[in-house]
Amino acid sequence: MHPSLESYVLLSALLFVIGFFGVLLRSNTLVIYMSLELMLVAATLALVAFSQYNGTIDGDVFVFFILTVAAAEVAVGLAIIVALFRRKQTILVSDLDSLKN
Amino acid sequence: MDLKTLPIDSPDARIAVAVLLIPLISAAVIALALRRRGGIAAAISVLAAAAVAVGALQLALAGGRFQASVEWLRFGSFSISLGIRFDDLAALMLSIVGIVGLCVHVFSLTYMADDSAKARYFAGLSVFMFSMIGIVLAENLFMIFVFWELVGFSSYLLINHWFERPAAAAAAKKAFIVNRVGDLGFLLGIVACYWLQGTVSLGELAARAAAGSLIYSRAVPLLLFCGAVGKSAQLPLQVWLPDAMEGPSPVSALIHAATMVAAGIYMLCRIHVLMVPEALNVIAWVGTFTALYAAVCAIPQRDIKKVLAYSTVSQLGYMVAAFGLGRGGAGEGAAMFHLTTHAFFKALLFLGAGSVIYGCHHEQDIFKMGGLRSRMPLTFWTFTIGVAAIIGFPGLAGFFSKDAILALAFENNRAIFALLALTAVLTGFYMVRLWKIVFLGACQSDQAKHAHEGGIALVLPLLALAVLAVLGGYRGLYPHDVFAGVLAEVPEAEGSLQTFLLIASILIVIIGAGAALAFYRPPASGISEDSLERASPGLFGALVVWQQSFDRIYGYYVAKIQQRFAILLNYVDIVGISGIAVRGVAGIAEMAGMGARKVHTGRVSTYVYWFLAGVVVLWAFAAGILSLQR
Repeated sequence: MHPSLESYVLLSALLFVIGFFGVLLRSNTLVIYMSLELMLVAATLALVAFSQYNGTIDGDVFVFFILTVAAAEVAVGLAIIVALFRRKQTILVSDLDSLKN
Repeated sequence: MDLKTLPIDSPDARIAVAVLLIPLISAAVIALALRRRGGIAAAISVLAAAAVAVGALQLALAGGRFQASVEWLRFGSFSISLGIRFDDLAALMLSIVGIVGLCVHVFSLTYMADDSAKARYFAGLSVFMFSMIGIVLAENLFMIFVFWELVGFSSYLLINHWFERPAAAAAAKKAFIVNRVGDLGFLLGIVACYWLQGTVSLGELAARAAAGSLIYSRAVPLLLFCGAVGKSAQLPLQVWLPDAMEGPSPVSALIHAATMVAAGIYMLCRIHVLMVPEALNVIAWVGTFTALYAAVCAIPQRDIKKVLAYSTVSQLGYMVAAFGLGRGGAGEGAAMFHLTTHAFFKALLFLGAGSVIYGCHHEQDIFKMGGLRSRMPLTFWTFTIGVAAIIGFPGLAGFFSKDAILALAFENNRAIFALLALTAVLTGFYMVRLWKIVFLGACQSDQAKHAHEGGIALVLPLLALAVLAVLGGYRGLYPHDVFAGVLAEVPEAEGSLQTFLLIASILIVIIGAGAALAFYRPPASGISEDSLERASPGLFGALVVWQQSFDRIYGYYVAKIQQRFAILLNYVDIVGISGIAVRGVAGIAEMAGMGARKVHTGRVSTYVYWFLAGVVVLWAFAAGILSLQR
């Protein structure tokens, strides 16, 4: 027997919340980045679940696009983090306050 | 007593002005030109002190009694004059300041010889002499206030002489701030006096009192008394004086024992015509409680100067009580008589303590001394005279002046008499304790073993003051009745009362001194511990708590109440008054800007929180929980 839609949505919400609080509370940029990815994955999980429940492929198509964009985004984001570290010798967001002054 | 009014350029007035200005000139020369020449600075300062002493005695013994003034400021009908009022009271005080000042200056020559900031020290002494003589000679309350603040300033300078010690810096600040509290009352009193009487000239006030046209009020004398409470270290502002012992010993002798702290009593005597019975009653009780409180505080002290400091507070309480008890001149007479003898024997005791400290290489703990009798014989004998004088040993200065106060108390208020007699017993107890632990028994430390008498400059002032501490009580010896205006008023018991008081005061000495002699063993070698602490730790601890109670209460009040209130007021001031009320729209805009700036921390995490808040608000609108339409 397949798990019900509710359990998929619940897992997805849980993952999303974990990712969200990771972004809010962690200070290491890499961990924040991973948390962001977690939120993205949570959203794709929900899409796949809905797609299967409805018996259509609309959600699966979305997921393909999201994964493609996410891969590109990871490449850009990691490059930014590496550049940041080269410049500031830190990846802690608490030290990155050059938006002020 | 009528005073001649002289022009300011008459010979006597010129001497008085010279006596006032010589120390100022000395201080100015040292401060401007001789900061690095300690030796020359010391010589100039001592010469100035000698000139002051000579001039003061010349004026007091041979000069007339006069007043002289010149106008200083005039605004319409309001004018302030600078003037000199030289009556018997001022003559007596000026002589004390001159003599004790000279002794202390000479003593300082050796005591401060190796100090790295000798010039600053002697300049400070000179500034003090100038300010103190200013108080003594001042003709009106405004002038007294100006010089009053100046002695406070010089006292600050000299307590703070070793400013690299945190304790000295804190003590100087404390002395200054506590005095400020009293001075606020003093200033209000002067203003109230002017408002009520239309004048603050002492001569004018005395003339009006004689003519019966003085307006009496309770507020004016009590407000003026606040100044004396601060300067003369009365309850509840006594906390600064024991701490002021952080200054060099000669400074303690001159400023914090003999002269400046006595200025409060002197000022009260200057304004005695304003007094009303209710105010005098308050003053008497304040003095009595101070005397008793400080005498109890002195018992558990370990520091030689702290014992003397509390004894000073106690004796000042005596004088204030005497002033408060007197009606029609007797109080002034008794207070000034005790002030005089106290100035001599307390300066002697402090200089003796300085000599001991100097001999023991700056050791101040009495339980590390012991056995100094054979090592410092001259200091021992002069200190003994000082102790005998302060406990009222028959025949010495303190005996007569204390008796006068007790007689006054016995006639006017039996309760105060009982408390003052108890204080006298305690005085005998703690002074003999000090004397015995320091000078008798065996040496407690290497410093004491190698103690030695200082040079001639240390010993000569001790000898001079010892002579005065013996003879100061015999009023018949003061030449030609020059201080009759004050000392003739000293109350004397007669008949059976005299016999009773004589027996009482001898009993006081026997009980107080005898108890200490019997209780405190002469320190054996190696045992350096308070006998009382060993015999009864509970009582000893209670005494220490008693002694620290005021400091604790004030510390709590300042840190927990006043500081918080001040922060609140500061906030109200910045936001309410200077932000909105004064600058209006500009202030509001600026504060909005300040608030907006606070939001922009430059940190990503903060922005994420704002983002979260934004999402929540957006969601609330979308879900219909928030709505712009009703």
